[in-house]
Amino acid sequence: MALDATTVTAAGPAAAPPRTGVTLHRIARRRSTIAFLMALPLIAVIAGLVAWPAGYAIYLSTLNRRMTSFIGLDNFQILLESETFRMVIWQSCIFAISAVVLKALLGFWLAHMLHHIPTKGQRIWRGLLLLPWVVPPALSTLGWWWMFDPSYSSLNWLLNAVGAPSVPWLGEPGWARASVIIVNVWAGTPFFMIMYLAALKSVPDQLYEAAAIDGATGWQGLRYVTLPMMRNIISITVLFSLIVTFANYDIVRVLTNGGPRDLTHVFASYAFQVGVLSGNIPRGAAVSLFMFPLLAVVAFFILRGVNQRNREMA
Amino acid sequence: MSATAATPSAAIPGLGRRIGSLRKERRWALITAYISLVIAAIVMLAPPLYMLLTSLKTSAEISNPVGTPWIVRHPTLENYWALISDPMFRGFFFNSLKVTVCVVVLTMVISVLAAFSLARMKFFGSQVLATGVFLTYLVPDTLLFIPLYQIVGAVGLLNSTWGLVLVYPTLTVPFCTWIMIGYFASIPKELDEAALIDGANWMQMLTKIFIPVALPGIIAATIFAFTVSWAAFVYPTAFITRPDEMPLTIGVVSQLIRGDTFAWGQLMAGALLAALPPVVVYAFLMDYYIAGLTAGATKG
Amino acid sequence: MAGNRIGRRGMLRSGAGVVAAGALGAPMVHAQGTGGTVRIAFWDHWVPGGNDALKQLCAKWGEQNRVNVQLDFINTTGNQLQLTAAAQAQSRNGHDAISLTPWDVGAYADQLEPVDDVIERLIGKYGPINPIAEYLAKHGGKWRGVPATSGTQTKPACVRYDLFEQHAGIDIRAMWPAEGKPGPGADAWNWDTFLKAAEACHKANVPFGLPMGQFSDAVDWVGALFLSYGAQITDEKGNPTIKGNDKLKQVLDYAVRLSKFLPNDVWAWDDASNNRALISGRSALVFNPPSAWAVAKRDAPQVAEKCWTVPMPAGPAGRFLAYLPFTTGVWAFGKNKAATKALLEFLGQRESAEFTTNTSGGYDIPPFASMADFPVWTTQGPPPGTIYNYPLKPHHQAKYSIAYSPAPAELASQMYVQALNTKVIARVAQGGESADQAMGWLEREINNMRRG
Repeated sequence: MALDATTVTAAGPAAAPPRTGVTLHRIARRRSTIAFLMALPLIAVIAGLVAWPAGYAIYLSTLNRRMTSFIGLDNFQILLESETFRMVIWQSCIFAISAVVLKALLGFWLAHMLHHIPTKGQRIWRGLLLLPWVVPPALSTLGWWWMFDPSYSSLNWLLNAVGAPSVPWLGEPGWARASVIIVNVWAGTPFFMIMYLAALKSVPDQLYEAAAIDGATGWQGLRYVTLPMMRNIISITVLFSLIVTFANYDIVRVLTNGGPRDLTHVFASYAFQVGVLSGNIPRGAAVSLFMFPLLAVVAFFILRGVNQRNREMA
Repeated sequence: MSATAATPSAAIPGLGRRIGSLRKERRWALITAYISLVIAAIVMLAPPLYMLLTSLKTSAEISNPVGTPWIVRHPTLENYWALISDPMFRGFFFNSLKVTVCVVVLTMVISVLAAFSLARMKFFGSQVLATGVFLTYLVPDTLLFIPLYQIVGAVGLLNSTWGLVLVYPTLTVPFCTWIMIGYFASIPKELDEAALIDGANWMQMLTKIFIPVALPGIIAATIFAFTVSWAAFVYPTAFITRPDEMPLTIGVVSQLIRGDTFAWGQLMAGALLAALPPVVVYAFLMDYYIAGLTAGATKG
Repeated sequence: MAGNRIGRRGMLRSGAGVVAAGALGAPMVHAQGTGGTVRIAFWDHWVPGGNDALKQLCAKWGEQNRVNVQLDFINTTGNQLQLTAAAQAQSRNGHDAISLTPWDVGAYADQLEPVDDVIERLIGKYGPINPIAEYLAKHGGKWRGVPATSGTQTKPACVRYDLFEQHAGIDIRAMWPAEGKPGPGADAWNWDTFLKAAEACHKANVPFGLPMGQFSDAVDWVGALFLSYGAQITDEKGNPTIKGNDKLKQVLDYAVRLSKFLPNDVWAWDDASNNRALISGRSALVFNPPSAWAVAKRDAPQVAEKCWTVPMPAGPAGRFLAYLPFTTGVWAFGKNKAATKALLEFLGQRESAEFTTNTSGGYDIPPFASMADFPVWTTQGPPPGTIYNYPLKPHHQAKYSIAYSPAPAELASQMYVQALNTKVIARVAQGGESADQAMGWLEREINNMRRG
């Protein structure tokens, strides 16, 4: 993960101004040793539990099924030749992009609405709307699963009550994909809402006043005042959520297990099925590694965004 | 932070003619806002509510598809009672608690130390490391669970809660460090210089000045670590298969879903009980958490 | 008899819920002696209270032989049991013995202790073990596990006889009465008759609840359907036998026609969806062990008393019965192999098997044909005799089947997990592909599994 690390100034460690003088120099020398020791546990975690497994994953992906011989890039080639896997790539992208766009739009809308109501009531509404995000997703998905159940669907009961026909929520590929997205959007929207609400609050009221005096409508205020001010936080939230959504596992695992016909598998669930359940660890590792290029691209944009903003703020 | 935002309508006095139409616009905006929020709240709360309803029903009522499923006709606490009196379920709870407490403590120690060192002290490569922390935060757990499965197996911790204590820090440490770096960086430099001149060593500086001042950040990071370890799903699914070592999330999903039978009441009761601790924590500490999260985000 | 009493108590306690019925972690039996400790992971029984038999039998054996017996019961939901076996095989550490799903015995054969001595003595006493259990447990001429009674199930048809008579015009109880001979019309109980009945019940809004997803219920019954048409997708070396396979095409065509009369979301059903379909009263037929009926007896008695279990329909190549046997394998790295084998031999005795079967309300199927006569299958009800035809009996003229035979175990276990047989049907019926396209996909998928 040496992605452009050298060109980036990370947020936190604002470089301390260089200190001069002989006595301070000694402290600095001692200081760097202490500092290194203090960061050592962190380094151990990153090196031992992230960098080493990542390298190990790459090594694993070059082995054969029984892990007895080196087969180079064959696993990647086999995967790319498999239409099921090509479908999984496509599905993961569709899933992540549509879910993130929906979450961003709904989150923005809700944040805006929340911002409009008197401050007094905001806290309770915020608390209520945050609930889906607080419940561990694997557990709330169980509730959705039960609402989608073919024989006892309470959602279908509601649909039937208003005269609409029952929906095969998890049985028909289109609906199954929609269901997975619905649950993800349900669970993820509050996060966007909270982030955007914080951003909205950081926009000075004077800007709106000025816009209103200039005769701007609400929409124009949104377009020319709010959005530009929030650009950074929107892009970072979206990019961050894209990663999390792209790598999602719990919802697919609980709701559909990839079915019907593998049409709801995403990278993570397919890696689990191929690698752990079917006992082909190397190929499962290869499936996971396919996430990497996309993550790297997104991470690059996030870092660039952060960097830019830091420069603007400086 | 919510208290600082003034109601926008109060801020536009004395605009003469325009004020009437503006006021009307405001009223409509307010009505739209409330309608949207009510609809959103219904959608957001329907699944937990339905879980609650189901958990209060008997198996016989659940399996009878006549009439609306959205009301409970014969409420019962039998499902909750069955779970609470069940040593296996209590075992899940205890396992979750054990793992979560260990991970939270471990995480906070690691990330406070590291954040202090990265935010205030410099050493060779500290810049790269700070970037590395951020990048690790972007590595999802699903990318690495297969090699970790091999590694955890090699050290003999498959099927052990200690295996989870070993790997969960990958989920918590980067973000917590990141939050803490932000908080520590915002503390004025004059403070530590004064402390140094007073002869305090670095450790004293951390415990006497930084930790107290950055307490809100520490609370936020702690809640984050708590939530993540409580809700973790991928690692326990892959690493734990024995019921007596399972934490709640995976225990509920794998032990209460009986392949062939009907335990929806218990399943929903179990899911709700498992979701309770994070919900309670939020109910009391929501503001800290949101402040921590959004501060991390707005600061970058 | 004692077994029956405990069985009934187990079923009664199930009213309090699945967990309360005792699916608990390791019950330990402290014995006085120094025979060491034996740790076994058994399949966590789906029938409420179903684990009690093994707990009591092992406790008894442990006391008699002064051995500590520790049991873990591990669920197959989310493939937990399979994952445990995989983890233990890999780390060469874990239980002394473990319940293995059908194809896993072959997959781990080289790490399992041969148990030929145990099997020989059991066969000497009770006659031959059924051929499928043997096929799955015997590798390289050696038995690598003891076919188990607990958890071993078949999936015959559980029919709502009232709905069947009303809509399909078939008196299924007369056709397959609760006695040792078929009734009138039993020879016409084939897949064509079945299709007509499926159509009639679909029209009457009580469609058959036949899963077509990726779980074992679906894979097993479709596997039996394939075999009854003589359709195999690979040979015993694992080479695909798909191109130009008319039998495969024929069965695919049949399955697609049948699926038109099933609920439209069967493609995503799991092992419990068919049970729910039956229990909710919305389905006239499911393929399932008697657990669906047993739960209905608890939660929806009005449904349970209208259920009748009959063999699967026959196809051009004969009648096959979907069979899901568990095999208890003894790890070669285990520390107490002699005691473990002795315990498994004890569990294989007729008395033990009958006790297990009784405790599970008749769910468990012993591997010996000579044990298909336990009274529990006759006495269970209501209606009396409802599961008489659950175990395979001579007059059914049927064979046990396992999906994907005769493929080599390592390939078959992957095909089983990925449910290739239901997916190929789904690609045609739901995905709108032609039979040739779907079969082409199947062949490529199998080849991909074999590579690397």
